[in-house]
Amino acid sequence: MNERQRWRIAFLQQAKSDWEAYQRTRQADWPTCHRLLFLQMASEKLSKAVLIAGPSNLETITQSHAAFVMFMRFAGNNHKLQKMLGLKKSQQRAQFKALLPLAHEIELLAPALAQGGPNPEYPWQNTSGDIFAPTNYPFPLIQRLHQTPQGIQLLKYVEIFLKSFEELFM
Amino acid sequence: MSQNHNIGNAAEDLIKEQFELEPSLEQVVWIDSDKTTEIRLLEINPETPATGSVLAFYFPPFEEFLYATHIAEIRPEEWQKILRHEISLPEGWTLDNYKVYSREMVTV
Repeated sequence: MNERQRWRIAFLQQAKSDWEAYQRTRQADWPTCHRLLFLQMASEKLSKAVLIAGPSNLETITQSHAAFVMFMRFAGNNHKLQKMLGLKKSQQRAQFKALLPLAHEIELLAPALAQGGPNPEYPWQNTSGDIFAPTNYPFPLIQRLHQTPQGIQLLKYVEIFLKSFEELFM
Repeated sequence: MSQNHNIGNAAEDLIKEQFELEPSLEQVVWIDSDKTTEIRLLEINPETPATGSVLAFYFPPFEEFLYATHIAEIRPEEWQKILRHEISLPEGWTLDNYKVYSREMVTV
């Protein structure tokens, strides 16, 4: 196994661990920020585990936080998933396209992309001067993830991708 | 898609399909089009998020498409930066041989 493959496996292992943490915080009714933090981390590392199989520079991949939306755009092209779900290519593409706005919101949770606004990790100040701690912020995104068809579907796909990674991406 | 196609036909079929499936796709650039073992595509789409880099995804060959494929999606201004060498291509990719496809070229 070459070094790049070892990196890939390491990203996948950490993504799975982050996903497990996300599920545990969900069950235990922890503050929303912790749930979203683990979800954002799981989705970013999953995306990077897939990207590492490609030709892009490893440093470029590891340093970027903007990987999940790109990954979801390309997951709509995955013919193995298409077969697994029994979808037509156009259906699969349309389904994934409908999930992109939520994927974008998850991606923007990374503090480096949050532009000094709401994120699940660090306090921030809004334009009125109010200072928020993530633990006290409601994060409306969580409702859209858990209570809308698109949110439920997106989370289901993340789970499928992590559980069937070898089958779908290797 | 037939598995009997040569790489040129296979690439052009794939590009055509990408245009059909993605209405916002403006152009597709087939990078290193002289390579005979794999297909490298840059899809230029103004709806894709800007990353300032080329993040290419790998699609292994399968029974209906025999060529390994790498596809990266970039914004139009990122393509201009690639041409000016302000954004690097992935290692081993060059601008020595490339073909640019527009929707009109493949859907007529």
